[in-house]
Amino acid sequence: MKQRIIIGIALLLLLVVIGFMVWDFFLSRPEGAANPYAYDLSELKKSDTALNRYEEALQFTPGLEEIHGIAVDPAGRIFVAGKNGVKVFDDSGKLLRKFKFDGYADCITLGLFGNILLGMGDHVEIYSAEGKLLEKWKPANSESVITSIAATGLFVFVADAGAKVVYRYDHSGKLFNRIGEKDPENRIPGFIIPSPYFDVCIGKKGELWVANTGRHELEQFSPDGRLVTSWGVASMAIEGFAGCCNPSHFAILADGSFVTAEKGIERVKIYSPGGVLKCVVATPEQFEEGTKGLDLAVDPKGRLLVLDPVRNQVRIFVEKLKKK
Amino acid sequence: MKERMKKLCWILLFTLVVVNGFAVQRFPKPEFETAYLQPQTHQPPPRAELLAVTDVVVLFLALAVTTWLVLKRRSRMGVFFMSLASLAYFGFYRQGCVCSIGAIQNVTLALFDHSFFIPLTVIAFFILPLIFTLFFGRTFCAGVCPFGALQDLVAFRPVKLGSRLNAVLGMIPYVYLGLAVLYAATGTDFIICRYDPFVGIFRFGASFGMFIFTGTLLLSGIFIARPYCRFLCPYGVLLNRTSRFSRKHLTITPAACIQCRLCENSCPYDAIDIPVTGKNPMDKQRRMRNLIFIILLVPVLVGIGGWTGARLHETLAGVNPKVRLASLVMHPESYAGMAEPFEITAFRSAGKPVAQLYAEASSVLGQFYTGGWILGGFLGLVFGLVIAGRMLARYNPDYVPNKGNCFSCGRCVDYCPVKATTNPPS
Repeated sequence: MKQRIIIGIALLLLLVVIGFMVWDFFLSRPEGAANPYAYDLSELKKSDTALNRYEEALQFTPGLEEIHGIAVDPAGRIFVAGKNGVKVFDDSGKLLRKFKFDGYADCITLGLFGNILLGMGDHVEIYSAEGKLLEKWKPANSESVITSIAATGLFVFVADAGAKVVYRYDHSGKLFNRIGEKDPENRIPGFIIPSPYFDVCIGKKGELWVANTGRHELEQFSPDGRLVTSWGVASMAIEGFAGCCNPSHFAILADGSFVTAEKGIERVKIYSPGGVLKCVVATPEQFEEGTKGLDLAVDPKGRLLVLDPVRNQVRIFVEKLKKK
Repeated sequence: MKERMKKLCWILLFTLVVVNGFAVQRFPKPEFETAYLQPQTHQPPPRAELLAVTDVVVLFLALAVTTWLVLKRRSRMGVFFMSLASLAYFGFYRQGCVCSIGAIQNVTLALFDHSFFIPLTVIAFFILPLIFTLFFGRTFCAGVCPFGALQDLVAFRPVKLGSRLNAVLGMIPYVYLGLAVLYAATGTDFIICRYDPFVGIFRFGASFGMFIFTGTLLLSGIFIARPYCRFLCPYGVLLNRTSRFSRKHLTITPAACIQCRLCENSCPYDAIDIPVTGKNPMDKQRRMRNLIFIILLVPVLVGIGGWTGARLHETLAGVNPKVRLASLVMHPESYAGMAEPFEITAFRSAGKPVAQLYAEASSVLGQFYTGGWILGGFLGLVFGLVIAGRMLARYNPDYVPNKGNCFSCGRCVDYCPVKATTNPPS
């Protein structure tokens, strides 16, 4: 009797095993199952709210299509470039003037005498403050995609995402040299630019900073193309730059701190001059999902201007303490 | 000239190695630093070629040593330690892959799909145990297969199942083998690997469901010794059939059997055939009647089996990814009210024409229709042979291991009081 019970139990267990195999293989595939390979960044988009020291103080719609570039002059006037035109606003968002042109401006900066430098696809165009076309520089490369321009009193630095290089011109359009090309002898790794986001900025001492997005770094170069220093870390965490290629844009504050904007995980952060995370300006929840191309500018009051091309807005962030 | 060629080869080899040494990444891989821990994959990394060759050498040596221990030394203890060593090497060190059992599928797929590359190692793992079995019986099961070794460790209280139950349960491996071959031949799935119960133990990681599955099997293995080997293992079917032709199979007694019956209950696998002597053979007329019945029955069973298999071809093909996708595309109402299945999303984004998908699915269904006939016919044949085996009793004067079912573990040897020197084999 006991033997039969044991055999019965053992057989039952064996049948459970076989039953599991049959059920799992033939029957356990529910229709409409969730995608196990879904690209889900929701967990990574969460961040520590204690780090968030900025808040949105103002926002306005520039009234341009496909806005890509923003710049601020020393008087605090805001220049926004987009499809077929540039508009100029005062610091409260009131329209001061505008001018038109044919085509798309991908980036904007201010040059000598209030001139406006625009990256127009493969070349640079210079307009007077009144909107008169002054110069149209020749494309430096047949594959050029101009994504950012930065100017000092002497030079104009033009970032070309197509050729993966930064050009140094004078204000008359004379090309001096190419910066950042791969040069193992001088320990220059070269720019890795997988997407058309390749920003340049001038630091507080007039030094050139370039976003090497594929390496998730900001690199400082001397005007003659020497790599001076770099910082940055690839990380999904808040301290680093996430995704294939970030930061997509950056700006530099008066104290030398860096403001960075990322795509993928949409966020704006501030780093110390040494590259240590100081605080968060805007978190992914404050942007539409999939927002790319958050161009940045800093005005003389220290306010951070974020150009949001999805909401078609200029969004101004201020430090919480300063606002109070 | 030969020497010069040799030098040239060495220089070429050296150059290739040095050139590779200068290679740099075209695009540096980002090293993300997050709190996220990468899950450990359960798949072992591919073996280096030298190690793969070593595996084959070790397999050959293990088979040779086990065969020597079984047939020459007749040492149960030796076989036991050999099986532990195999468990350590083929199980835990090699993480159970590639194994002879799973190799059935690789060989099948290579036979049906010429674009599928099958490494020589896999062929060796498939063929070597069969060759040894053909000459010496299932010594592979005794001391080389890590699955068997693991199950042997938990067989604390084995019970006898009886010949009828053994015969019924013994059909399952044939079904499993047939399905494994069908799904491998159609490129659908490797079901032996999917339901490999012990690989999770060897790799220290498996899904929760698989751990329960393995645990249940081992639990049943306390009472039913080696349940996987006896009632599931598809490779066991091949070994069983091959072993029946083995010339030098393990014998219980080294000399003439004295019918002491000491070995009768020694086998935990019910693999000892009791004597069928001249006192109890079936009468000649009845045997003839049975034989005619079997000769008529087997083709009928093959036909019924084949017909049934062909009728089931759509059910069998339902797990094929192409057929399943085509079915979902054809019947969107099947997921109405639910999120769109990700297969559909992926299919739509790929831009493949629906007509092409249907044509491919139809081709797969055709394969399953043919496969269903063959599978069903095969199972009908096996069923017929099982009935034949039970109806046609064979003359057998001594206690002997059943050549097909015996794992050559050598347990019965220890029970035999006959010494080789006292009575030379007849």
